[in-house]
Amino acid sequence: MDKIYVKHADFVQREVAGEFLLIPIKRQLADVNSLYVLNETGAALWHRIDGKHSVQEIIKDCSEEYEVTVEQLEKDFNALIEDLLSIKAIQEAPP
Amino acid sequence: MLELNRLTSIPERFPLSCQWEITCRCNLHCVMCYTDCFNRPDMIRDELSTNTILRIMDELADAGCLELCLTGGEPFVRPDFFDIYEHAKTNGFLVTIFTNGTLITEEVADRLAALPPHRIEISFHGLTEQTFEGITQGKGSYQRCLRAIKLLIERNLPLVLKSTAMTINREEILAIKRYVSGLGSVEYRLGEELRATLDGSNAPQRLAIPESEWLEIKQQDPELWAETCRKQSQTPAPCNSGMRRFHIDAYGRLQLCSGNRRMSYDLRTGSFREGFYQALPTFACDFKADVSTLLIQVSAVHV
Repeated sequence: MDKIYVKHADFVQREVAGEFLLIPIKRQLADVNSLYVLNETGAALWHRIDGKHSVQEIIKDCSEEYEVTVEQLEKDFNALIEDLLSIKAIQEAPP
Repeated sequence: MLELNRLTSIPERFPLSCQWEITCRCNLHCVMCYTDCFNRPDMIRDELSTNTILRIMDELADAGCLELCLTGGEPFVRPDFFDIYEHAKTNGFLVTIFTNGTLITEEVADRLAALPPHRIEISFHGLTEQTFEGITQGKGSYQRCLRAIKLLIERNLPLVLKSTAMTINREEILAIKRYVSGLGSVEYRLGEELRATLDGSNAPQRLAIPESEWLEIKQQDPELWAETCRKQSQTPAPCNSGMRRFHIDAYGRLQLCSGNRRMSYDLRTGSFREGFYQALPTFACDFKADVSTLLIQVSAVHV
């Protein structure tokens, strides 16, 4: 939980009709009709990934803003990190 | 937290998809082209500047526009093409380029590969040099177009080749289709529409293949024939331009679609939001139904 992540410059975030999309700009979409869409919690977490704040700090920050338990946020954030790593949208920040 | 889904929350009217004719300039003069009449200095001088294009593009992004098709004329003729293209890409548009391919050199192909388009579509109207250049009226254009196809395939860029069926190339349409099917992942699209030119001449329509001859040609290809039969058995869908799709011409005029420019809203002086939400719904279209239809087909991976 003390890991720090940095966003990959390859992804641009767009808001389209209230949906938060992650668009890869240097790679083609795996399927031209598929887009990565963040849900509300995912978008809130994504906004806070800045290469400076740890996972723990981000969860604490979010828990003060949203009416969600820390346990639920930890679960959501871990799933999100796993997904973002799998599509190479983030990477662990260098020490 | 990762699931496959569709973009379902897009409102019925939303500026999702833009076709932008960024110039009427072109290095070729295709015999059926409807924009070439404006490929002349006085009209070119009036086309949008780089800064105005980027400003309007930012307004499109702010309004939620996602799909952006850059067309012409020939988009690569603009000296600022990559300024426009890279701005679109880095702002998260899914960019499609319509091109004749003849200006795609190795250097251009490398730049595209570094920031790949969502799709690139090349007009390919003839399989022989004689037919091809009889249409484009550009000496050397056939070989340059073949070079572009090769360069883009080598870089695994998502390529579509498309032809417009005309009297001049009717003997080669089926051969072009077979040629493209031998190119692996390259898609093929056949167009049949010949439009009047932007200054009102019906000259391109004189190149139309007589219906009976055209049906005979299509009968020789199972896919084309199946498509023809399917279309004939269906009532044409009502036009949905202006609902989630719209068009911008080379002079910054917002219109329902490329084929209907009767009414415009000037984006040089007005805002995109006002144009899309207030002006566009009032524009006339002969093919509009009273009740609009859904058109989005994009699915999404929800993270």
